[in-house]
Amino acid sequence: MAAIISADGVDKTFRQLKRQSGLAGGLRSLFSRTYTEIRAVSDITFAIEPGEAVGYLGPNGAGKSTMIKMMTGILTPSAGALSVLGREPHTNRMRNAREIGVVFGQRSQLWWDLPVRDSFALNRHIYDIPEARFADNLAFLTEMLDMGAYLDRPVRQLSLGQRMRAEIALALLHDPKIIFLDEPTIGLDVVAKDAVRKFLARVNRERGTTIILTTHDLVDIEEICPRLIMVDDGKLLFDGELTRLRADLGSRRRLTLEFATDPGPLPLATATLSRDEGAAKHYLLEDEAISLIDVLNEVGRGHGLKDVKLEEPDIEEVIRTFYQNKSRLAGAAS
Amino acid sequence: MRAGAYPAFALTAFQSRLAYRNQVWASAFGELVISFAFIAIWTAAFAGQVVVDGATLPEMITYVMIAGLLYWNTDRLINDVGEAVRTGDITIFLLKPLSYPASLLATHFGHYVFDQLVVTLPVLLIVGFSVGLLPPASLFHALMALPFWALSWLMLFTLGALCGLLAFWLLTAFALEWFLKGIMALASGAIVPLWFMPGWLSGILGYLPFAWVSYYPTAIYLGKLDPPATFLYFGIGLAWLAALGGFLAWLWSRARHRLIVQGG
Repeated sequence: MAAIISADGVDKTFRQLKRQSGLAGGLRSLFSRTYTEIRAVSDITFAIEPGEAVGYLGPNGAGKSTMIKMMTGILTPSAGALSVLGREPHTNRMRNAREIGVVFGQRSQLWWDLPVRDSFALNRHIYDIPEARFADNLAFLTEMLDMGAYLDRPVRQLSLGQRMRAEIALALLHDPKIIFLDEPTIGLDVVAKDAVRKFLARVNRERGTTIILTTHDLVDIEEICPRLIMVDDGKLLFDGELTRLRADLGSRRRLTLEFATDPGPLPLATATLSRDEGAAKHYLLEDEAISLIDVLNEVGRGHGLKDVKLEEPDIEEVIRTFYQNKSRLAGAAS
Repeated sequence: MRAGAYPAFALTAFQSRLAYRNQVWASAFGELVISFAFIAIWTAAFAGQVVVDGATLPEMITYVMIAGLLYWNTDRLINDVGEAVRTGDITIFLLKPLSYPASLLATHFGHYVFDQLVVTLPVLLIVGFSVGLLPPASLFHALMALPFWALSWLMLFTLGALCGLLAFWLLTAFALEWFLKGIMALASGAIVPLWFMPGWLSGILGYLPFAWVSYYPTAIYLGKLDPPATFLYFGIGLAWLAALGGFLAWLWSRARHRLIVQGG
């Protein structure tokens, strides 16, 4: 299948006015202005297939929003080729806009003083959604996002969680082929985050809507996006499955063995002892190929083993290791 | 882009205003007090004289009321555009398959209709029944007052939108708002008709676009211009509107270019 979004060597450079400090500097800048070039996105290449859910991840200022803006057609790339649904987004802004949905966690697209339903009705006109289709979608989204209780309440009376669900529904009413979400769970509580994640995963699965999501919250990625694109300083660092990232980094699973009584030192070939608390011993499993069975076979019977706990490394740790390795690499290179 | 979406914007804006009932009462009351204040001022200024500079007191009272009706408050418009620029919310409009200036026009037309229907019209009725207002000077003048009315609002909208858009470069619409207000108070003829001003001043102001907001439509309602002059000034007004509209379109394309290249 052809890629629904493809970026080929995309660059974005901003020219920023250099502000000079002090009164003298301020006066000087009235006559001569100097600019600094800021490269927000540099040489990004990727391809996204229809129906994928991709997490776009990076620290603040990594160029995530800039990339989203270019893909939605409201920012032009400085260099490189970008294609969304077979078109160059910024030269086909209107046509592109009809087929995508966008949610900004920090900006609202709802009418503040009006009931949620009225903003939906306005979108029906903007996107020219047929009446029956609109009714179906509204019913589906209301049920899935549990909005029935507040559909007729003015937006200003809603909680942040309710509002965000309404924002997401608004972006999906016209059956977009791609939905871009810029930090959709920012500021939400645990329950609201969970509702949003489950819903997005379901929309992706059942409707085949392609999802591009930027976030700081790694659980978003874990629950919605099998694929991860990581950027920093505008550059692409990693593109692939989350599980591959784990494997690449040498997924270090943590194993805890609990014994009825302290069995004494217990070195193993299959696992590295990391901490010894006597009756409880903590190991790290460096090798992906080694299974729990292998370890238990090695430990054998006779030590009075009471309980076993195996933990997958959580995504936060994986990512942290990744960025640390990267800065080490960068340090070594310079 | 679908034309059907724009009436929906007007309707939505109208509905949003119904949310604040107290605001409606407060503005209507304020409008009423200001109207009676103006009537009192002009009554005092005439000081028992029947005709001053070719205008009678009832004409003057009618003038103040109609000119006031036409002089729509553009604060909301300037603020809407200025805020959208300042906070970057303007990108949201670019994400939708519609033209921002057209949706702005539709939205504020909704506000305009609301203001006229709910605030100005009741005040006009109260003044009409208590103090009395003159009917249009003739059928011709009555009919011509309508296109002048439309022109007046479009002129106001264009001027307001221009001020708001300049926030792209100045990053605040606040100062421009005051500038426009000051100019409008004098040059639109909303407070004092141009015929009371010194010849050289009314000569200048009579050719500036602001005069089409209040002065010309009201003067035509009162029959102060003969038919040829009425058509002539309608033509000049249209030319001004086209020029300002062109400037607005140019400014918007510059702003859009800046947004999509510079990211705002």
